[in-house]
Amino acid sequence: MTVQEDYQPVFTGKVLEELQTVLQRYPNKQAALLPALWLAQREHGWISDRIMAEVAEVLGLTPAYVKGVVTFYTMYHQHPVGKNFVQVCTTSPCNICGAEEVLKALLEHSGAGDAGATSPDGKWTIVEVECLGACGFATPILINDDFIESVTPDKVAELVRKYR
Amino acid sequence: MGYPHKPHAKETVVLSQYFGDADARTIKGWIKRGGYEALAQALKMDPVAVTDIVKESGLRGRGGAGFPTGLKWSFMPKEKKRPHYLCVNADESEPGTFKDREIMRWTPHALLEGTAIAAHAIRAEVAYIYIRGEFTEPWTIMERALAEANAADVFGNIKIHLHRGAGAYICGEETALMNSIEGKRGNPRIKPPFPAAAGLFGLPTTINNVETLAAVPHIIKRGAAWYKGLCLSNPKSTGTKLFSVCGHVQRPGNYEVTMGFPLKDLLYDMCGGPPAGRTLKACIPGGSSVPILTREETEATLLDYEGVVAQGSMLGSGGVIVFDDSADMVYQIMRLARFYAHESCAQCTQCREGTAWTTRIMERILAGQGKTKDLDLLLDLSENMTGKTICVLSDSCAAPIVSGIKKFRVEFEAYLAGKRPVPVMVG
Amino acid sequence: MADGLINLTIDGAPVSVPPGTLVIEAAKQAGVLVPHYCYHPGLPVAGVCRMCLVEIEKAPKLQIACATTVTEGMVVKTQAPAAKDARQSVLEFLLINHPLDCPICDQAGECELQDFVFQEGQPGTRYGEFAKRFNPVEDFGPDVLYVPNRCILCTRCVRFMEDVAQEPVLNVSERGDRAFIGIHPEARLDHPWAGNVVDLCPVGSLLSKDFLHKARAWELDKTASICTGCSQGCNITLDTRDEVVVRVRPRPNLDINRYFICDHGRMHYRWMNRGDRIEAPLVKKDGGLHATDWDEAFARVLAILRGASGKAVALVSPGASSEALAAAKRLLSGFSWTGAFQVVMGEEAPLAGIPNLALRAERAPNAKGAELLGYTRDYAQALATAKSAAVVLVLDEPDCAVETDGALIYVGSVLGEDAACRRADVILPIANVAEEEGTFVNRDGREQRYFQAKPAPGMAQPAAWVLAQLAQTMGLAAVP
Repeated sequence: MTVQEDYQPVFTGKVLEELQTVLQRYPNKQAALLPALWLAQREHGWISDRIMAEVAEVLGLTPAYVKGVVTFYTMYHQHPVGKNFVQVCTTSPCNICGAEEVLKALLEHSGAGDAGATSPDGKWTIVEVECLGACGFATPILINDDFIESVTPDKVAELVRKYR
Repeated sequence: MGYPHKPHAKETVVLSQYFGDADARTIKGWIKRGGYEALAQALKMDPVAVTDIVKESGLRGRGGAGFPTGLKWSFMPKEKKRPHYLCVNADESEPGTFKDREIMRWTPHALLEGTAIAAHAIRAEVAYIYIRGEFTEPWTIMERALAEANAADVFGNIKIHLHRGAGAYICGEETALMNSIEGKRGNPRIKPPFPAAAGLFGLPTTINNVETLAAVPHIIKRGAAWYKGLCLSNPKSTGTKLFSVCGHVQRPGNYEVTMGFPLKDLLYDMCGGPPAGRTLKACIPGGSSVPILTREETEATLLDYEGVVAQGSMLGSGGVIVFDDSADMVYQIMRLARFYAHESCAQCTQCREGTAWTTRIMERILAGQGKTKDLDLLLDLSENMTGKTICVLSDSCAAPIVSGIKKFRVEFEAYLAGKRPVPVMVG
Repeated sequence: MADGLINLTIDGAPVSVPPGTLVIEAAKQAGVLVPHYCYHPGLPVAGVCRMCLVEIEKAPKLQIACATTVTEGMVVKTQAPAAKDARQSVLEFLLINHPLDCPICDQAGECELQDFVFQEGQPGTRYGEFAKRFNPVEDFGPDVLYVPNRCILCTRCVRFMEDVAQEPVLNVSERGDRAFIGIHPEARLDHPWAGNVVDLCPVGSLLSKDFLHKARAWELDKTASICTGCSQGCNITLDTRDEVVVRVRPRPNLDINRYFICDHGRMHYRWMNRGDRIEAPLVKKDGGLHATDWDEAFARVLAILRGASGKAVALVSPGASSEALAAAKRLLSGFSWTGAFQVVMGEEAPLAGIPNLALRAERAPNAKGAELLGYTRDYAQALATAKSAAVVLVLDEPDCAVETDGALIYVGSVLGEDAACRRADVILPIANVAEEEGTFVNRDGREQRYFQAKPAPGMAQPAAWVLAQLAQTMGLAAVP
């Protein structure tokens, strides 16, 4: 799949300064890779091959090395995602409490249709994830950086309205 | 308090005392509640003396393995020739477990204080707290607390940094976590060398779980004898433990009880038992990686390291997943297998291929396409996935399969016979 | 038992090895090959394939032989039922997604997956009707193709590029059973030593484009040789099929090239198969060159040498064997002798992770040997001297711009249309490196033998034989 990408270097100005601060926490540059990728994703929305090459350049790594790391961690987007990126936990503890119904409701109300797909209006990408670590608050979901506990299908319509 | 519910009389509230108390999150509020006294006290002590107190208290790792904490600290080189590191495992990702999240959300300074004490005890000048990427709220709270604590200059020479994970269960494995901090794929490392010899950045490192460290200030302040006295059953299991209860109970949440507390009381008295009209069918007592218990076993279990083993499972992380009679065990076990297949780091052959194959067989059974020999095949694969890999992720995938087939075979057989399973009515 | 060694037992055989030795290496001493995939003595230990699980007495569970160091009194059982079962299960796991395309796989016949399945695997599969994982073939670089379906994720290639080449252009991408060996779209596997990943790959997942579908492994004859690509002296194997060199592979030599060769050396073999060879001795007659037999050719050379005196010049190839170079010197020992060679130079390309291993700038295998025998690098001076010399001997320098008023003898394997040596009085056809046995001296002064991989064409003979025959007939003593 080729993705249209409007690439601008990420690590300039303020973001570069932020990275410099991060680098001070570690004894070598490579250790700043995960934080650097977080910064890049915040700025660019996703981690493209170009971004990986830029991160590699900044940290003295190779693009292939960075790609190996990016593809290991599920929270780095390897493709563009909707304005609201929603992660729904459907692992066993939430599953027995109705997580799959929550997922279904989210897919319907958002118009995203399928898990992993982005809604036609570009606003929603909803993915099924494994354990979000809040099993006592089934079903937890993450909308971008907002961690929302105890979501039930009947709360979904309101949530979708709020974030749309 | 059985957060998010009101405290229950049978709880022993130590770590969870301020859960729900927003003022305790601030450094002012924390100091007002006696916070950072233990750290000040510890910083004046010789590191060996601090380690000895923790050793004497009987505190054992709360992340899952239950290794004696003081002993672990004492493995660090006696003569410090190179920098030492402390890693704090806040990558809480074990399905069923959500206690560390609560500690960080409500008592971030408890963790920071415990971290600084541990760093002092192992003579580390730098500690990294590795927080899983999905924990956005705990991250923000920890970040704020750390900034406050740094401003108040409470850590002496110790530097504490937060490091954010990015979505990988396996980074909760200690050496995978170190690789992840080093900017690598979160692959577990072969041991030896052990972290105390060559850990983070190849230097002597100790890694502790959030809950373990949160208990440390209490031990320093109130003494080893007090902590050791918190014991209802086996003297090898001391102190309090947070149990995360989820699934089919009326009041899921975090409950803090003294080691040796009966699981039955936790589930029925504190959590209100299964929803009305339902009966308890099964329970996974220590996070998804441990064998499943039947109702009988569950009700006979005492919650300490030895007590759970006596019933054929493990205390693990203390994540208690409860299934009532409406639960489709075959489907839920498939979900667990799928979880491990998703999270396998891909290094070891048995894990990479075995978790995925196991999941496929489970899905086939659920689709009504199972074969009679599938159960034997699953058991055989599980055997081949146990005790043969670098870390225990593939063992963890096998545990619910083996215990599930053994204890809920009738549900599997119903699927194999082309029928939806007959709910197993227990009691 | 020698002091300082660790004594242990492997499958009942006692062995003594230095402390720190890995069980898998100790086992080799006991004549036991513990099946393995990710382990390679030239790479850092990964311990991931779990194929080398063995039983060790007193250990609570099976241990991997590749990451366990020997201890005194250790008792290792590679054939214990538990160990055999474990390995059989690893094979089963590896095969569930491995295609059964051995008939079209270049690795077939030298595939470690085939070998160990043959040795320890089970017949049939329990994977049943599930579809195998499929990913398309990828072009990794100038000579390397990646066939992900055959990959067993041993990570040897990744570790080679990361730790040995120190240019991590390969990675493990994704997780779990979705994992594969990845490359970044902006990078290529074009490191000067990249071809080693093909040799390191235990299965047919990384393939050489140069060797693609060229031959079946079992049709190849293997001959120990020395690379002629530069002065490093890497030990190689020449693989021939039907008397044609089809592949060059590294032959382990821990002191010189470890387990590796560079791509320049790897590709430096086509010339060995040249068809436009000098196949018969040629003598100048009536202004032209005429084919003849060795007797007449020898007689002509002897007549030239016996009838001349004064200066003689030998212009030699630094790719000639030390034996040939010595014989050439011996043949001209009755003259006031000058010997010289010139070396083609190129760019140096080190293998970063291995000390003293590089594709050397000096692109010839025996310059050092020539030097030791008294040949000079002052080629220009030698050419000038040749002009007025009584006899000039050119040894396998087809492009030699020689001019002489004296007699010219060319001993070589090929000769271009416009070559100066066409003016020679006698041309003696010789074998090339693949067609003879000989010795090269590498840049560090190490003498190394190479062996004959294929017959020489026509009447060609090894230069050393040709020149020594002549010297002997002349009654000249061997050079000391």
